[in-house]
Amino acid sequence: MDTPYRTIAAVEQDLQRFPPAISEEFQRAHEKLAPGVPSEDLLAWAVAGLRIAQQTIRSWEVSAEYYRVSPQVLSVLSFERFSVWAKQGETLSLQSPSIALSYFRVGFECVSILPMDRLAEWTQMGQSLYKGTWKSSIMAARFFDVSPAMLRALSFDDLGRLVQLLETLSHYSSDLAIEALALVADTFPRLEDSRGQLLSLLTVLVEKNWRDVKGTLEGAAKSLPRVDRQHRARFLRLAEQMITAGHSPVAPFVLDTSRAMGQLQPDGQARLLAMGEALIAIEYSVVPEFLRSGPTMLVRLKVPQAEAWFNEGVRLLKENKDAGVAFFRMESSHAEQLLESLSSTVELPKIKELMRMYSRALSGTQVEIASSQELAQKGIGWVSENKPTTEGSTVYLPPVVDQYPQKEENFDWYKVVTTHQVAHLEFDSFTFTYDRPSTLYKKDLRPRLSPKPRPPQITQGQPKPAIALEGWATDMQKFFDIFSERKMALDVFTLVEDGRLDVRVKREYAGIRSAYKRVQGDTLDTRETNEEMRAREMLVEMLVRLSLDQRTGLTIPATYKKEAERIARIAQRTFRHSQTVEDTSEATLRIYAILMSVPNKEVPPEDQEELDQSAENDSDQTGDSDSEDDKFLEQLQKEQQEKNESHQSGDEQESQEGGDAGEDKKYSSPRDVDFRGSFKPELVQLMNKLRQAQGQGQEEEQQQQISSEMLQQLLQNNVEMESPSKGDQQQVASLFANNLMREAGMPPANMPPMGQGPFVHMDEEGGPLEVHEPFSYLYDEWDFRAGDYKPRWCLVREKVVPEGDVGFWRQTVTTYAGLLNQIRRQFEMVVPESFRRIKGQTDGEDFDLDATLEAMIDKRAGITPSDKVYWKRNKVQRDVAVALLLDMSASTAEAIEEGSRSTDDWAAPNDPVEYMTWLRAHRGESGARRQYKRIIDIEKESAVLLMQGLELMDDKYGIYGFSGYGRENVEFSVIKDFHEPLNDNVRRRLDRVTPMHATRMGPAIRHATAKLDAVDAKTKVLFLLSDGRPQDRGYSREGVEKEYAVHDTKRALTEARRKNITPFCLTVDKSGHDYLKTMCQDMGYEVLADIHSLPERLPFLYRRLTV
Amino acid sequence: MSLAKPQLGKEIRVEEYIIEDEPFYLPQGDEVTLFETAYREKIPVLLKGPTGCGKTRFVEYMAHRLSKPLTVAKPKGKSAADAGNDHHRVPLVTVACHEDLTANDLVGRYLIEEDGTRWIDGPLTRAVRFGGICYLDEVVEARKDTTVLIHPLTDHRRILPMEKRGVILEAAEGFLLVISYNPGYQTALKDLKQSTRQRFISLEFNYPAKELEATIVEHEAGVAPEVAWQLAKLGEKVRNLKEHGLQEGVSTRLLIYTGKLIARGIAPRRACQVAVIWGLSDDPQVQRSISEIVSSIFE
Repeated sequence: MDTPYRTIAAVEQDLQRFPPAISEEFQRAHEKLAPGVPSEDLLAWAVAGLRIAQQTIRSWEVSAEYYRVSPQVLSVLSFERFSVWAKQGETLSLQSPSIALSYFRVGFECVSILPMDRLAEWTQMGQSLYKGTWKSSIMAARFFDVSPAMLRALSFDDLGRLVQLLETLSHYSSDLAIEALALVADTFPRLEDSRGQLLSLLTVLVEKNWRDVKGTLEGAAKSLPRVDRQHRARFLRLAEQMITAGHSPVAPFVLDTSRAMGQLQPDGQARLLAMGEALIAIEYSVVPEFLRSGPTMLVRLKVPQAEAWFNEGVRLLKENKDAGVAFFRMESSHAEQLLESLSSTVELPKIKELMRMYSRALSGTQVEIASSQELAQKGIGWVSENKPTTEGSTVYLPPVVDQYPQKEENFDWYKVVTTHQVAHLEFDSFTFTYDRPSTLYKKDLRPRLSPKPRPPQITQGQPKPAIALEGWATDMQKFFDIFSERKMALDVFTLVEDGRLDVRVKREYAGIRSAYKRVQGDTLDTRETNEEMRAREMLVEMLVRLSLDQRTGLTIPATYKKEAERIARIAQRTFRHSQTVEDTSEATLRIYAILMSVPNKEVPPEDQEELDQSAENDSDQTGDSDSEDDKFLEQLQKEQQEKNESHQSGDEQESQEGGDAGEDKKYSSPRDVDFRGSFKPELVQLMNKLRQAQGQGQEEEQQQQISSEMLQQLLQNNVEMESPSKGDQQQVASLFANNLMREAGMPPANMPPMGQGPFVHMDEEGGPLEVHEPFSYLYDEWDFRAGDYKPRWCLVREKVVPEGDVGFWRQTVTTYAGLLNQIRRQFEMVVPESFRRIKGQTDGEDFDLDATLEAMIDKRAGITPSDKVYWKRNKVQRDVAVALLLDMSASTAEAIEEGSRSTDDWAAPNDPVEYMTWLRAHRGESGARRQYKRIIDIEKESAVLLMQGLELMDDKYGIYGFSGYGRENVEFSVIKDFHEPLNDNVRRRLDRVTPMHATRMGPAIRHATAKLDAVDAKTKVLFLLSDGRPQDRGYSREGVEKEYAVHDTKRALTEARRKNITPFCLTVDKSGHDYLKTMCQDMGYEVLADIHSLPERLPFLYRRLTV
Repeated sequence: MSLAKPQLGKEIRVEEYIIEDEPFYLPQGDEVTLFETAYREKIPVLLKGPTGCGKTRFVEYMAHRLSKPLTVAKPKGKSAADAGNDHHRVPLVTVACHEDLTANDLVGRYLIEEDGTRWIDGPLTRAVRFGGICYLDEVVEARKDTTVLIHPLTDHRRILPMEKRGVILEAAEGFLLVISYNPGYQTALKDLKQSTRQRFISLEFNYPAKELEATIVEHEAGVAPEVAWQLAKLGEKVRNLKEHGLQEGVSTRLLIYTGKLIARGIAPRRACQVAVIWGLSDDPQVQRSISEIVSSIFE
């Protein structure tokens, strides 16, 4: 090596000229290397560093780094190779010190990974990224920085591809390339075996749409963990295919799809992907839609059914692209119906209405049906989201059932469950009264067992609260206060009562018997006998099985066979012969007493025995011999006494549990019987009490409101309260108390005001809507391109127009006094028509004298006389109902004077923000202080005149306005409903009819149709008064086709026609002919040339239509 | 060879229609006593109640019962047979009113004969003339002009003005006007006017209690007691749905029809379908709900 330096010292000398860091690094490295490395090599090594330092002003840093890593690198490389490596670094440093710095920094890691021959290639890669610009140097440096990680994650070839990809990308944008590199470095090491596939995806992406790279990488980073590992490569391949097919941007696709796939099990993901792959071949644009909605379908359908569903979609797609797209989006009724018919699951919303009527019929009360989730969310003591239950006024059912392979069986399960819950109401589980005698026992135990009353609470000197706070709030509470083992008492009570109801239902409802038995049997099959059950628990488990109608093979502790038999006898007797819930309570007392006499010890298997109850004689042999009853009584009284004593001694709870004899274990409840759900008699009684109190409280204002603290005290010791989390008992109870009170409708604290919520902006691309508020209705919308309905697409909110001033009405009547008289006269003439005599009838009220004479003459003359000699009154009675729909869209704010100006309202922007601005601009023209008439004013005036005329006849009529903004906000304003008389309120409302938003006609027509349909009349007319074509945000597909709206409106009118309603469209839009022709085709319509003729024309048309 | 003569329906003149066999009727309350008293005191009776709850049957039963000689009313010294002959038998004239029924249809009309016209008494006139019970079923359905006839007949005058013939017919002893109406499905247009209402005493009818209804169904349809009980239960349950989807609960009459079908071997669920479910509603949702009730009750 040709070098002016002969000694290390000389080199060191020269290094002194650079910042001290470099010398420090040198010395540190030198110390490590000196012993092992030959001196000439050492010199070469030192000189190489110096050379680098001397290159440029900033290269000393590189040199320092070189010295720092050298000892490590030399530990794995021979000096010869080391030189090559160092040389490469030196070259890099010449180009850009920052790159070289990175190169050296990762030196050790990389040389230990890479074989020597690759080392050069690798350096080459980094170098190729450097294009002499500052940005490219950052990129190259970054490349070296991340190299160790990448080399571990990727094969060398893949790394080459990545570099190439980055290079291409940097042609477009170096910033993007740098970001992409960072993302790759971040993402790749976390991906396992799908890296190659992602790389290939990116390669395609760079070619097709380089801007998308970053988004896709980010998307992939987020989405891949959601996809099962074995399907990741396949998923990416699908995305790649999408890019190749031309889909863009791909990032949302990746995200959405992975989210959808996240809902599925691995095998479901595979099926979804397979379907997606199959779809790409046919029509790629539908794939994202399908993948988004697919999981819903796959979750609900079994494999073959899912295939069938998919194939139907494919068939449609091939036939008609739009129909297929709508199908796969699940935006077609056909798709939903097919899904429904193929699916074996039964979902609550689908059968809710049915079950509601069923429950109401059975119970004879106003039962509601709701999902258990709703109850759990209320936080009033019920936690399970999947168990059926009832709180006294509503039956809560699990939201979905998929236990059986057949839909019918799942439905039967629902029915059994509902019947059981309703049985609680029908057979009075909740009306337990402490003092009411039982029907089964000669001597009831309850009157002789009065528990100690609870101490009076707080309230001194205050008015009497709604609920007695002394003693017990409910009879159920009083009853359970008897027991020290409250939980066990509740379990026994529940089992006996449920068993009683099951037997009762099976006896009363023969038809459901078999389904009921099946559900009971299935429940038994899934109950396993727990070997570790202790004696008491074993006996309670026996009771569970008895209540489920298992008679043989009941496992019991052999030692307590006698007790078991006694329990079984009492239970069986109650099941079979009991009438009332009081019987249950008496049986509970007795069974409880027996159970308490059994120590809760473990029962080894050899001590277990099977009890057979099948041969149980059914005779109503009274088991309650007085002596036995007395024993029970004695035992219970003793227990009560102990309880009271411990109560007085202060620490009630602990002393009870710990105080029991020796090895007695604390009692734990048996597993719940799923189909019976949770039964909480004490809570329900309390709820009912609260509701009642609330009802009275409203009448007697001075009555003190019950506070949540009082309620909290009432809830004390209640074992029915379940809390979702194990929190502070006190806190939980207080929360429950508050929730309970809200549930009973007590405090208005922070309750959202009822009524119409604010506009909810919802994307046109969403799915079907749901009704959350009263007076909201859902309607389908017709998609003419798919040839199918979009299910539950539009939400119509009905509201009554606020009342304004009656002046408008009076003004109109005065202004149009002349015309009004004319209209009156015309309308009056309609009425007598129905009293006209029709002559020449074969039968009638009386003879028509002329006809009779003629007939007589004919007869005398020997001619066959006519038998049409009667007259009768025209029996065609006027029976007309009409709905007048007024267009309240923004465009009706236009002044009439300049009405000739033809504005194509279609120019309404699609973006919500822009739309509002546009709307304001439109309305602004007709500012607050207008002097001229607007279209809507004429509409209103016409309505006034028509209503004046209508009052002369018996016709039923409703006046409505419609407008709205978007499919979720179709406003349907009631000016006068069918059942309302024309009073001043209605007159005042008319004043406040003002232009509002857009014109989505379809749903408004459908709603008016529904209203008309509910009215009983021979002739029904739907009168639509508009000022232009239907239009609304998103009332078109892709926002460009005006026909969409026109077709939907046409469809709505046709639907009305099918319901025997005569629709008639009257428009003041002069260009109305073009679309009305399509919209109304064979139905009546008229385009008014002069809007001023509307007040005259409307009553005229009305008469013509209805006579 | 002789062909068996086909059995023809017997023709009875309206005013001679006397109910000979005692109709099956189970009193729900004191309606029998009330009606008897009203009859003796000549107070017209208005029967209110839903369709098929037994209003017509009640009138038939009363007509029969009133035709029977009452043992307590037997005049002294006369033999039982005499009393029977002597006793006024009460014919029952039933007119089902419809929206085309006019006053003429009730009073009578002229018909053309060989040489002129002949007057034919309408059903109401006959009942007035012969002293029978005239039962106007669903009276609000009839035309408004019928009230003109009802009014003079239902106060102290007890006369029937026959405008066409220019005569006034005084009601015979034993005449009583009974009208029925179903408050359930009356629109405001077809309501009974106060001036009409207040000429009657009103007996309210409703569907019988479950036990009673079971007995009725069992008797009328000839079904086994269990089936009758199930049908009565069905009736009770379905009636719970009134106003919640159903305009009207299922009538006892329909339950009897169902029972008859079952007694003749039709499967119970099918019998309920044709007699109850499809009859009550056209709404598929409601039909489905009732059908679930049926399938819970019947195997």
